[in-house]
Amino acid sequence: MYWQLTSSGHLPDEYDVAVIEGAATTGEHIETLRKVRETAAVVIALGTCAVTGGIPALAGTLDYDARYGVVYGDGIAVARGRQVPVPVTSVIAVDYQVPGCPIDPAEFVKVLSRALMGLKDAIPVDPMCAICKTEENICFLDQGKACLGLVTRTGCGAKCVSLSRPCTGCRGLSPEANLPAARRVYADKGLDPAELDRLFDLYNAAREVVL
Amino acid sequence: MFFRVIDKARLPDLVKGLATEYEVIAPIAKGEQFVYAAVTDPADMRLDYDTTLLPPKRFFFPSEETLMRFRVADNEVLDDEVYAAPRVLFGLHPCDINALLLMDNVFSGKYEDPYYLRRREQTLLIGISCTPSETCFCNVWDTNEVHWGFDVFLTDLGDRYFASCRTVKGAEILDRFVENRQVTDQDTTDFQSVVHGFKNSFKRVADTTQLPVLLDAKFDSPIWDEFGDRCLSCGACSMVCPTCYCFDVEDRLEPDQKSGVRVRTWDSCQFKEFAAVAHGQNFRESRASRVKYRYYHKQWGYLSKFERVLCVGCGRCARACPAGITPENVIAALQTGEVR
Repeated sequence: MYWQLTSSGHLPDEYDVAVIEGAATTGEHIETLRKVRETAAVVIALGTCAVTGGIPALAGTLDYDARYGVVYGDGIAVARGRQVPVPVTSVIAVDYQVPGCPIDPAEFVKVLSRALMGLKDAIPVDPMCAICKTEENICFLDQGKACLGLVTRTGCGAKCVSLSRPCTGCRGLSPEANLPAARRVYADKGLDPAELDRLFDLYNAAREVVL
Repeated sequence: MFFRVIDKARLPDLVKGLATEYEVIAPIAKGEQFVYAAVTDPADMRLDYDTTLLPPKRFFFPSEETLMRFRVADNEVLDDEVYAAPRVLFGLHPCDINALLLMDNVFSGKYEDPYYLRRREQTLLIGISCTPSETCFCNVWDTNEVHWGFDVFLTDLGDRYFASCRTVKGAEILDRFVENRQVTDQDTTDFQSVVHGFKNSFKRVADTTQLPVLLDAKFDSPIWDEFGDRCLSCGACSMVCPTCYCFDVEDRLEPDQKSGVRVRTWDSCQFKEFAAVAHGQNFRESRASRVKYRYYHKQWGYLSKFERVLCVGCGRCARACPAGITPENVIAALQTGEVR
């Protein structure tokens, strides 16, 4: 196993499985990703930042340079080649994704097993409500509280809602999500439909660029 | 059937007695709603509940269960025992008992399901009378009454219960665990008064006239597109349905890939992958077709095979659907051609 943060050893020329965490935030990251894609048999994007851009991608929703100045001040030396943070999945094709902030280690083990066996990705595609119902959670929307489970990719077991926290969409948009219908649900429940999109930005500001 | 009368104040004795030999599952409060859960103290039971978040089907057909463990090298089955401890489900409403009878048709018969049936054998059912809630419409399908499928059914007469014993076992547990007496003419008169009052107290009346014909005749109706546009494809309706029985089966290998488990989980016909087959073909590609076939199966497909509709009017799907797609709306839309 090679892990650059923990070792200064020379990186190998080829990998069986490359597991990549984090959003790409510099030009160097982009180059590294492309190189990894060329030299790795299997690429796994691990965690929300790698899969959807996560919270870092929020930086790109308005004027990125101006925001940088607000946070770090003017004239501060910054990372060379910095750019709007983007998910790994928008730069290279990945073979498997493990979304979640934080990830579920059991899901990671399952994905890694699939990768080792050469099985294709089996990431769930449906929204969250079904599993939330099987957990017998009391629906936040029914209480007039915003929850993103109705459009978020399932697979976490609705852990947050089971712990009395509304879903914040950290697993990304379900490919089967019906966004117009979900906005209508918000309106029916007395919520602002625009709130759905605004809240969803927290982990999914870069959803337009995800491959 | 034979009958007993139990003083209301004595009911906890029955629960305590049952708890010495069975796991007792009964409705308890969860926030302002209710769930079935194991109880040891009868005071935790809420027999005044309206409905539960999940129906009792999960005690026979869990949302996730291991069917067997296997070894990869020689395909040997290591363990396929059905572990089912003796249980009592206490406080089921008529709709939910009727729902189990509908499930029985599917899990027994030509293809017996040992997992479901073993748990069914090991479980006593004690029903209780109810008061219709805002979303109840069991009266529409005549599932507000139940005549078999339970061991004891308790009808609340105010200060006492009129206990109908459907099985010998049901009469035995009453005689063993709770003080009871024979039924008098007055008890029967009061029973009649209560059940008539119940029957007349329903607020919901759906027009189900010739529903199977309408489903066929309006197969291409634009109402399905409208419901499809509204549907979130979240599957909440299937999960909370006491009669939805579809499941998925998956083999999960241990990380060492030497052994694994075969697991079955609840599935939903509202999921895109539900009808996907090899080569990428999908028989239910559109949301509209998935919503349509849900109703088609419940109100016509099952009816044509088992002479009952696959709905007991419990109202759980009406409560659970974030998008407000309810059987009442769908049936009304079929009658009028308009989606409200």
